[in-house]
Amino acid sequence: MKLDSEHNFVELLQKHQNIVHKICRIYTDNEHTHKDLFQEISIQLWKAFPKFRGDSKFSTWMYRVGLNTAITLYRKSLRTIKSQPIESVGYKLSHEDYDNTKDEQLKLIYEAVKKLNDIDKGIIFLFLESKNYKEISDTLGISEVNARVRMNRIKTKLKIQLNA
Amino acid sequence: MDELDLLKKDWNKSTKKYPNLSKEEIYSIISKRSSSIVKWIFIISILEFILWTALSFFGDSTEVLEKIQANDFAFIYYTMIIISYIIIFVFMYLFYKNYRNIAVTENTKVLMEKILKTRKTVKQYVIYNLSMMALVILLGIIMELSTSPETQILLTDIESKGENNIFIFYLIITIVSLIAIAVILSLFLGFYYLIYGLLLKRLKKNYKELKIIANLE
Repeated sequence: MKLDSEHNFVELLQKHQNIVHKICRIYTDNEHTHKDLFQEISIQLWKAFPKFRGDSKFSTWMYRVGLNTAITLYRKSLRTIKSQPIESVGYKLSHEDYDNTKDEQLKLIYEAVKKLNDIDKGIIFLFLESKNYKEISDTLGISEVNARVRMNRIKTKLKIQLNA
Repeated sequence: MDELDLLKKDWNKSTKKYPNLSKEEIYSIISKRSSSIVKWIFIISILEFILWTALSFFGDSTEVLEKIQANDFAFIYYTMIIISYIIIFVFMYLFYKNYRNIAVTENTKVLMEKILKTRKTVKQYVIYNLSMMALVILLGIIMELSTSPETQILLTDIESKGENNIFIFYLIITIVSLIAIAVILSLFLGFYYLIYGLLLKRLKKNYKELKIIANLE
């Protein structure tokens, strides 16, 4: 039974792993912390998997668990440490992922997003994933109105950053 | 907003660039241990309990014990031990419950509220430990004063010299004890700050962000 569900889980996570990679991209600055957060989210997903009843889509559930891990449970100090690699998980991330654009303006936008606080990052991430305000508010536990208000504030913040 | 549109376009385009982990790699990842803060609070509380218990076995306390048993303090002493063990187990259970309750499947706000509750439990635990310590020191001093033969002789000696002297004697004892308690408690406060304070600090940052959300609603 346990092996069965483990097999099931790995298959699902493998299929939807892009969601986790994208969360890592918003919340981390380099390859090591990306791997580290990826690992932490995967573990939290696995720990919470028995509670996943399938009444929502697996991917929807992943957004919630993944963002919660990034916002609340992940050890923040690790994000800024750039020294030795945490034990190799055996995959390579190209550095281009973090510096992937020749476009100067895009680069600036990504930098501005990195400066947002963790919850704002979550909102903008869900926005980029084309989630509507209902889905954003459900995931973060805020009201729809609040989600809209915050999104507007984020837009203002980004604008100020970019025009500075 | 043009910039956001630009960002969104690039975001959707970049999907292909992410690494694609094999099933074997994912297996190896989920077999690793989790490192979340709440789990560490639970683990540290148990380690701390073990440390204190071990210390009490190693310490040479037979003399003190005999003294206690020889006096009326035995009842107070054993009641306190039993009560303190019960309270410590209650705290350990609460830490465990917090750890279990922190479910990542809730929405972010609910999760944060639970994290705040964990913070509160830890604070209560530290406050409890410190007040218990103060109480123990206080009882120790009272016991020493009322039972030790040397002190009894000293007391009668002082008393025979006048009533004012005994008042001054007690005043000095009180001041010295208060200073001793303050020093010992601040040492332990430092110790707790080191082991729990740093963990709580991380949780506090999240709390501030939660407050921002709450204020908007």
